[in-house]
Formats: sequence, C-alpha cells, structure tokens
Amino acid sequence: MAVFESTEKFEEVLGGFFNLIGDTPLVAEKLLKSKLIIRFSYADPDLVLLIDCSGDEIDIRAHDTDTKAIVEMKMSADIAHKFWFGKVNLTMALTRRQMVAKGPVPKILKLLPAIKPTYAMYPKYLEENGFGEYNIHS
Amino acid sequence: MEKKQKNGYAGKILFVDLTSGKIETKPLDEDFARENIGGLGFGTRFFLDAIKENPEFDALSADNPFILMTGPLTGMPMNGVARWTVCAKSPLTGFYGDANIGGYFGASLKFAGYDGIVLTGASDHPIFLYINDDKVELRDAKEYWGKDVYEVTDSLRSDFKDQSQKKGQILTIGPAGENLVGFASLIHNKGHAAGRTGMGAVWGSKKLKAIYVTGTGKLTPANPDGLKALSKKLKKVYEESIFIAAMQSTGTTSHMDVGILSGDIPIKNWQMTEWDDIDELGPGSIEEKIYAGNKTCFGCSVACKKEAEVKDGPFKMKKGPAPEYETVATFGTMCLNASIESVAKANEICNRYGMDTISCGSTIAFAIECFENGLISQKDTDGLDLKWGNSEAIIAMAEKIGKKEGFGAVLAQGSARAAEHIGGRASDFLTTVKGLEAPMHDPRSAHGYGLAYGVSPRGACHEASLTFEVEGGAMFIPEIPELSDDFPEGSEGRARLNVVAQDYGMFFSNCAIFCNLGGAPLNATHAVDMVNLVTGFDYTIDDVMKIGRKVWYLKRGLTNLFGAGASEDKLPKRLMTPMTEGPSEGSVPDMDLMLKEFYEMRGLDEDGIPGREVLTDLGLDELAELLSRKQSA
Repeated sequence: MAVFESTEKFEEVLGGFFNLIGDTPLVAEKLLKSKLIIRFSYADPDLVLLIDCSGDEIDIRAHDTDTKAIVEMKMSADIAHKFWFGKVNLTMALTRRQMVAKGPVPKILKLLPAIKPTYAMYPKYLEENGFGEYNIHS
Repeated sequence: MEKKQKNGYAGKILFVDLTSGKIETKPLDEDFARENIGGLGFGTRFFLDAIKENPEFDALSADNPFILMTGPLTGMPMNGVARWTVCAKSPLTGFYGDANIGGYFGASLKFAGYDGIVLTGASDHPIFLYINDDKVELRDAKEYWGKDVYEVTDSLRSDFKDQSQKKGQILTIGPAGENLVGFASLIHNKGHAAGRTGMGAVWGSKKLKAIYVTGTGKLTPANPDGLKALSKKLKKVYEESIFIAAMQSTGTTSHMDVGILSGDIPIKNWQMTEWDDIDELGPGSIEEKIYAGNKTCFGCSVACKKEAEVKDGPFKMKKGPAPEYETVATFGTMCLNASIESVAKANEICNRYGMDTISCGSTIAFAIECFENGLISQKDTDGLDLKWGNSEAIIAMAEKIGKKEGFGAVLAQGSARAAEHIGGRASDFLTTVKGLEAPMHDPRSAHGYGLAYGVSPRGACHEASLTFEVEGGAMFIPEIPELSDDFPEGSEGRARLNVVAQDYGMFFSNCAIFCNLGGAPLNATHAVDMVNLVTGFDYTIDDVMKIGRKVWYLKRGLTNLFGAGASEDKLPKRLMTPMTEGPSEGSVPDMDLMLKEFYEMRGLDEDGIPGREVLTDLGLDELAELLSRKQSA
C-alpha cells in the first residue's frame, strides 16, 4: 500500500517540505547557484512538482507541466518519501530505474551535497507540521 | 603476413625466464581456454603450476613468478573490455596478490600474437622485454633504470617508433618499484595502474624495468554478425545508463557527490563521514580547477579517464592523468586535505614513481594520525609538520616514500609494517586487512563490503568480487536472484551476496575481464553472450559461475598456502568503530554473523582453509594436496 493516500495529501506534505527547503538559506543558496529548473513527476499518487531555481529565489510550483525543465526526475511517491529520510541508495535506485533522471548529469550530481542537510530536516518537519504519522523514525 | 585469430584469443602464451634469458612461446590449448576463459582464470593456473614444487618463497626472490594475462575480449573494439590482469605473490602482504588494469597494452599484446606472459626467475642487471610481433627479446635497460614512469614511457616510445607501423605500448615501473617500495605499482601509458599489492616491487626485484609491445595482428570474433547485433542492442542500454553518463562527465570522481550521501567516503583516516570542505574535492571543484580533458581505453566510448593540469602555485603540474576517486579520497578526505591541486600533484608523484595511490595516501593518513597523537614527531618525519590538511607535507612525504628516503622508507613498507616500527597505539589507526590498506568505501555504510574486505584473497579490496558494485547499486543482475535483491540495511543476507558476487565477479572482471565501470550496465545475459560470440564457446550462466567459483577457491587457496587463515579475515578495529554521527551513525558490520555464514557456505574450516572435498569437486586436487601438506607440516 502506498504511503500517501491521495495526491492532495502528498502535495501538502512534499510541497510544504520543498517550500521549507526554499526558505533554508544554507540549502537554497546552493540550489539557486545551479540555476536549474527541475520537474519531479511522481506516481502513486500522481503529482508534478516543479522547483524553479532560475530566479532570485526558489519557486515551487505544483502541477506545472508546461515550463521547460532542465532536469526531469520520475519516481514513485514512496521512493521520494524514503529518499528524503536518506534511506534510498541513489545509485541503486537509478540503476534499477526506480528513479529516472534526464538532464545534464554533472549538474544533477552537484545538487546532491547541497541537499544532504535536508535529510535531517524532513523527519523534524513532519513532526512539527502535523504529519508525524509519516515519520518512519517515530 | 597478417595474423588473424578467429575466436578472440591470440593463440599463444609467452614464457620468459629472466635468469637464463630463455624465451619460448607455447600454443594456447583450446580446452584450457574453454575451462578457464582467460585473465586470472589462466593466471592463477600458471601461477600454481610455477610454484607447486616450492610454495615457500619470498615475494622479492627469483622464485616468485609474475603472470600477465589478457582475456578473450581484450582487444575487441567494444565498451568496457580493454582490461587485463597480473598476479604474483605480494611483497606488501606476503600473500597472493593480483591487479587489474586497462588502457591499450593488453590489446597490443594480443595484436602481437600473445594472450599473456609468464615471467620467471630474475635478471642480475636492469633489462626490459621488447615485443614486436614475433620478435621478442630481453634488452639491456641501463639507460632507463632510475628514470621515472613518464620519462621511461616517453623514451621507449620515441626510441622504437620507427620499428613498427603501430604505436608501441609501455608497461613500466618507476623508482618506487626499483626501490622495492611495498606498494609499488606497474604503470601503463602514465596513468593506467596495476596498482594494488606491490606488483611493481616484484618487477624491481627481478630488475625488469619495462615491457614494450607493438603488434600488427588482428583479432576476429567467432561470430562477427552476432557481435555486431549485440553491440547495436547495447548502444541503447549505454545511452540510458545514468551511471555511464556520470562516468563520461566526471569519471570516478562523481562518487564524491554520491558517496557523501550514504557515508561511504572515509574522512580523517576513517574517523568521520561528514566534512564541511568536501565540496572542494568534488567534481565541481575538479572541473573548475584542474580538469584538462578526457582519455579512454582501447575501443571504449565511455572515456571515464580524465586529464588534469595545475597551471601555477606550489602544486604546478603539466597536463597528465587526473586523480581517480580513490586518489581524491586517500590524499584528500583521508588527510583532511581540501586542496584538489595538491591531490592532482600527489597523483602525478604516485604515477611518476609508480606507487599505488590507495596504499600511499592511506599510509600517509595513518602517519598523520600517529603524528597528531604524538607517536612520532618532526624528528622522525625529517622535519615535516605532518598534520591534518598540510598539503605541502603530504606531497613531500609521498615523494620521500617513492625515494625510500628518511621516514619515507618506514612508510614505504605499508602502514601495517610501519605500525610495528612506530609501536605504541599505532596499530589502532590501521585500516588494513591482510596488510593491504582498505579502499575508500566504508563498510559501516554497507555491511557486505566488510565481509568482502575480510575474505578477499588479496586483502581489503572493493574489486575482489562484485559485492561493491551490486550492494552499492551500480550493477543489477536480474538473472541471478542474489545479485538483484533489495539489500535492506544490516548484515543479513550479505554472506550469500558475497559468495555469489565472488563467483560471478571472478567470471566477469577476472576471467572475461569486463571493466567494472565501463561494463556496469551489462547484465549476465549480455556478458555471457558477448563472451560466446567472441570465443565461439557455448557457456551458460551456470557454466561461468562454476568457472568463477573455481578461480575464487584458487585465489583463496593460494593465499592460505602463503599463510593466511581465519585471523586474517577480520576487519581492523578502526573500521569496526561505529560513527557517532552522519549517515552511518551507530552502524558496524556484524562480522561474526557474516563470517560464520560465509565459512559454512564456502566449506571453509575453522582456520579458514577450504575443505579437500570442496577443492577436489572443482578439480583443484593439486591445490588441495598442497594445503593438506601445509596443514600437516
């Protein structure tokens, strides 16, 4: 059974977390430096989240399928959820196509050290925003 | 007359006795080829044959045979098959040693008409082996002895450029090999290394400076049309592989960005897995500060080898081979050294002197920890302030090791012997298994690596099986259930993973000699099909697993024969100390559980020796007899 019961709930949880990332200077500065526009297409439940780092601040847009993204990432909502806990072996997920990435590989790889601090933020964010039921550590 | 072989093999083995100077060629027996495939499948058999009458000898004596073998695919113009292998008794560990190397040398050797070379004895003066098709000679190397790898490579190539239509390929040692540095390596074309276990010192002890090879023959696969069709199919597989895309863009250093997420990268001699300065050593910094182009191996479009240049400053170096991930980690993160320019310089020094960057960088990190803890001082280090992050001192020490000068002579024996020399708590800082310094992948982040390091016949090694590739995620072998599991965190199931990853790995990267990087996207069907299309044999996956198993037991048995037992299968204290923070916080491999399961599955007795029945079932009766004789002695 999927972790998230509906698109709305998943959007509320992950969209909110992406906004938190955008408001966290330590991470946001590095993401903005990349100038990337990344579209995450999730399945089960389906959701599209676009992270636009091309401007002065990070813009998170749900359901944006029109903007031309530089990087396209596809995965299930469950894998995404596990990823933000730091529990996904990224190399394995990409090899086994549990995650599919398209775009400039060096730029995608460069983002990884930048997002590392967010692993510690995710469980805390879930607890503090009434999403504790999704925290695998609790 | 143009020589053509129609089954991937060149068809001959070269036997060179360095003591008498006698050189002979023997035809490659087809049944032998079918039973052993190639590479270390051949190498371990020739090695056993050469030592079975007298298995007690010093690695630096004339009694140590040195075997160089290609595989059936070496020299085929395809991705990830340019590699070849070497083996001998290791002067660093005292056990069986081997190494695996890419580039162009293996292809040229086959074009010259040889699948491999068996070198025995030792010369009493510097020599090199000259191979130009059928002309094979031992020549005086007085003018090359003492020169570094870059100088010898340039000199030999220039000295013989008019003697062949094809470019000569050079495999050589540098001053470190001549000086018998424990972790001296063999270097081909300045940047391809048979790095591990001190094979360069074996050459140094034999006074063999180099092998120069050029050949004009051609290799033809048994089924060219089938191979063409497979290559076409694989084109799409390669295009869709993000692992290959990463290799193409930033090479093995792409792991700096990925490995930091899981706690895979050892920092400060394996005491940390997180470090604020890590980005200074990552692919972004490499691209900005030292990147100078791409290189590749014969026939491979992946081109994961990179070039580096440092235009000015204390670590200035001309354009040349760039440091690989392992080198960036050993000379960078392990030493808390955030200067990527100094890492590039350290890489150049190791290449010029001919030294393994993993052992050299790890040994320096070990020495830094001894220095910081007051076990050694500037009086011992010839005045060098050997502190964490002191780039100049790290570079100076690397050079001293290559020259075996001052304290460099102590470290040149490898960290395990250096710890005995230093004494006190020094052994607490070791990261060795069987005397070989561990590679830069932390078993606290993936427990299967711990068992892989422990039971590897050549000592701590992430390429002694495919455990690292499978558990790390770069390879997925859906035809073999143990190599396509999910591997949840922990130590459970890792013994089975290791057994199967050893059997398949011996076939894949030791016998057929696929590259673990350039061949990563291949599944078992692709790999076996490719070998069959080239050789004309009809192997099944079960067949190659059985051959792989036999090679693993041969390597294990040889290491046992040289004295390794169960106590050498343990991880050092440092690698078994849990991290207090970071992605692998609190996690250590359960070595007792994994070793117990592994010994049962492999039929090893409590001393870690394979049972006679296991060996005889695999046709390894001679090895069983030698081990039995040793045990009863």
